[in-house]
Amino acid sequence: MHKTLTRFVMVGLLLAAAIAGAQPKRAPKPPKPSQDVTPLVTELNSTDVEVAAKAAINLGLADVPAAHEALLDVLAMGVPPAVATEAMSALTLHPAPPDVATLVRYAHHRNPNVRAIAVESLAVYPDPAAQGAIVVALHDQAGVVRTAASLAVGRAKIKKAVEPMLALLARGEESAARGLAQLADADLARQIADQLGKVPDPSLALCLGLILKRPDFGPDPARVEVVRAIGKIEDASAVTALTEYVDATPKNPPRPSRAEAEGIVNARLGGGK
Amino acid sequence: MIRLLVFAVVLAACGPKSVFVLSADENNRFALDQTLAKRKLPDQPSPVNTARQPRVFAVSGGGKAQAKMITAYDLASSHVMWQTDADVQSRVVVGGDFIVELEGKQLVARDQARGTVRWKADVDGGFVGAAADRERAYLVWKDGNTFWIGAYDGSSGKRMWKVDAPGKLGAPAAQGGLVYVPFLDQWLAIIDGATGEPMTRIRGVDEQIAMLRTTSREVYYGSRLGVFRLDSRSALGSRAQSTYTTVKIPAQLEHPIYGTDAYDVVQQNYTAFDRSHILYAAAPAVVENGPMKLVGDGYAMHYFRYVFGFGGKGELRWAYANPRVELIATEHTGASILGVSTTGEVVALDPATGALRSRKAMGTTGQVLGATFDADGYSPGGADAGAPPETIEALMSIARDHDARFDRVKEYAVSELAKLPGPTVTTELLTVLSDTRAPQHLKNLVVDLLVARKDPASLPVLTQQLELHADYIAKTDNDAVGPIAKTVAGLAGLALDPKQVEAVMVGLLYHLEAPSSGVPELVQLIGALHAIGGGKERARLDSHLLLYRADDELAADPGWCKAIATALADGGPEERELLRQVAADPRTRAPLADAIREAAGTMINQ
Repeated sequence: MHKTLTRFVMVGLLLAAAIAGAQPKRAPKPPKPSQDVTPLVTELNSTDVEVAAKAAINLGLADVPAAHEALLDVLAMGVPPAVATEAMSALTLHPAPPDVATLVRYAHHRNPNVRAIAVESLAVYPDPAAQGAIVVALHDQAGVVRTAASLAVGRAKIKKAVEPMLALLARGEESAARGLAQLADADLARQIADQLGKVPDPSLALCLGLILKRPDFGPDPARVEVVRAIGKIEDASAVTALTEYVDATPKNPPRPSRAEAEGIVNARLGGGK
Repeated sequence: MIRLLVFAVVLAACGPKSVFVLSADENNRFALDQTLAKRKLPDQPSPVNTARQPRVFAVSGGGKAQAKMITAYDLASSHVMWQTDADVQSRVVVGGDFIVELEGKQLVARDQARGTVRWKADVDGGFVGAAADRERAYLVWKDGNTFWIGAYDGSSGKRMWKVDAPGKLGAPAAQGGLVYVPFLDQWLAIIDGATGEPMTRIRGVDEQIAMLRTTSREVYYGSRLGVFRLDSRSALGSRAQSTYTTVKIPAQLEHPIYGTDAYDVVQQNYTAFDRSHILYAAAPAVVENGPMKLVGDGYAMHYFRYVFGFGGKGELRWAYANPRVELIATEHTGASILGVSTTGEVVALDPATGALRSRKAMGTTGQVLGATFDADGYSPGGADAGAPPETIEALMSIARDHDARFDRVKEYAVSELAKLPGPTVTTELLTVLSDTRAPQHLKNLVVDLLVARKDPASLPVLTQQLELHADYIAKTDNDAVGPIAKTVAGLAGLALDPKQVEAVMVGLLYHLEAPSSGVPELVQLIGALHAIGGGKERARLDSHLLLYRADDELAADPGWCKAIATALADGGPEERELLRQVAADPRTRAPLADAIREAAGTMINQ
């Protein structure tokens, strides 16, 4: 049985690779200390879902190729959703290019939670197939999957996702605001600011506020632009975003963006005095 | 002497007494021929009015804030002759230079050229119906248990005669100086309109006489079952020996009638019956034997917003869907089908092709409640008919109608649509499936029709339809995946273009692996892939099986289990070995393992 199953594991992986696009080359790995994971592999194949899920977690912690292979095998052969989610998360602890095909396959799973974990996991892989699957997931009917995809876009800095992310922002999806904030450079921040009136004010204020709070976002003239863009938002969430920025930014060295934000907040809260 | 004279005058005013008796001469061919020969008929079908101009009289308004109004419209010149407020309680009946209708408890005659009241006559009891010819108006009423018919001079309103009946009378009809009155469900009495003298009568031998319709030259009578043309053969009484016909109307077009029921007082006003009836005209040639011949060997059925044209064998020739609003009155003039919509538009259709010959606004105010045509033989534009209607478009318009009253008509429309060849029809049928407001039974029917069509030309359309994906951002979904897959499966075994098969496989596989596909859709998708894949589908089905063999939802669904097990059990040794191993693995859900064992039989136990 093992021989046949192994063949179908390979079939499954090849099929998944076909879905994901070109199969990335396996990156060289440093040699790992020897560790016997056979008992964990046995438990992974248990009919007891809890035992199998726990084994998946432990195999992820075991930094040996055999553990990784066991996780890929079990995912290729099909497991209950509770085991699949743990196995996918475990894979990302020691990411390897072949994981992408498996994760892309699960990114289309019928169970939304399984899809969400698969999409979230794909953010770890700098692979076009992985990024493509994440962008596709932005269109998912399930909110949990879109949330995972939006955050994955931010984490993986997937520029080609900007358009659907803006569309989700227009639908008031908070995760899109967070993802875009992670993704934004000065140009994108400007593009986001231009969405005033097209997206809900709170979503826009949240997104721009999060961009401001990013330590790597700048230079300060770019921050000033963002502050001014927030200042144009009439909703109270704009004041909240600017207040948070002011509170999170030290007075010294002086930053024009902070001063501008403070001025706007004072004007809004003080009625323009 | 004076008493005698007074008695004689009263007697004369009351008219003859022996018109409606239970025992009298009937179905007398000689008498009937003599009677019909006395009619003053035009040489050609033409309007009754003395000007011989095609006209329509529409009644509109009647809401809480609006009085009823009559609009007289000249069809030939397309202008409103007059409009006047009138509390109309019956159909408008058209005479030579007058019209009559019931207002309150009075029969009111109006000058046909101006609409002014010419005379009024009290109805001494319950109104049953009215009719008119060029000279006179005729009224049937019921006083206590006695029915009466009376004649009134069209110019003065003077009652010329009246006679009573010992039994039920229906609403009369008049033509060329004769009055036709249904009597006791069984007879059609024919009276001299000038004197009230009985001429003859017809007795229905195997069908009651409840329906009566006259044109300028023809008299039709019968029931819901069929229609007789009044001629010499009517004296024979039976359907087989008379000039009779019955037309085939699809069951979905419910309650078809050949004319209003003369005994139903409600139908002597404008009602929903005017929106659902058969439109026909007898061919002018006298038929010596055999059934009635119809103009153009066809007929039509007006059904609310729609008009369907049929050939003599009941086959659909054309369909017309009036834009947005219902037609509330229609008439077959012999040369065209005229209709009036609730918004006061007059349309004229070619009876042979359904082509729209004209559409004019009458200028009515308020919703039109009903209309009476006086336009026998009239056809706007003569033979220069417009383009025939796009039957597919009309049928689709019906199928898309969201009015729940027309659910059965929608079924008829899609059934007729499915009989037409070509990919366009497939596309249109599929749009029904994606219509969220379409009733489920209609969708089920469409699926069955699509499958039954077995039209290889539809494959590219089906492929195209599969390209519609569920997309939250684009706000799209595809509700037709299951039916499309079922339709594709139905094409198995036909000669299909391999490239088209390859293309549809891509679409089917996409939806097989799309999370948006529901379990019923997956069952159809697997079936379709299995049916037309020729083995190329197996690797993807293997993957599908493995991905969900331990899934609590899918691997517990009997339909999916059976579908995937059956599809793969048909494969080669490798698939069967896979099935054996999957069935034997304890992590595989029991329903799936059982389905595999059932599909693969003893093979997996070996």
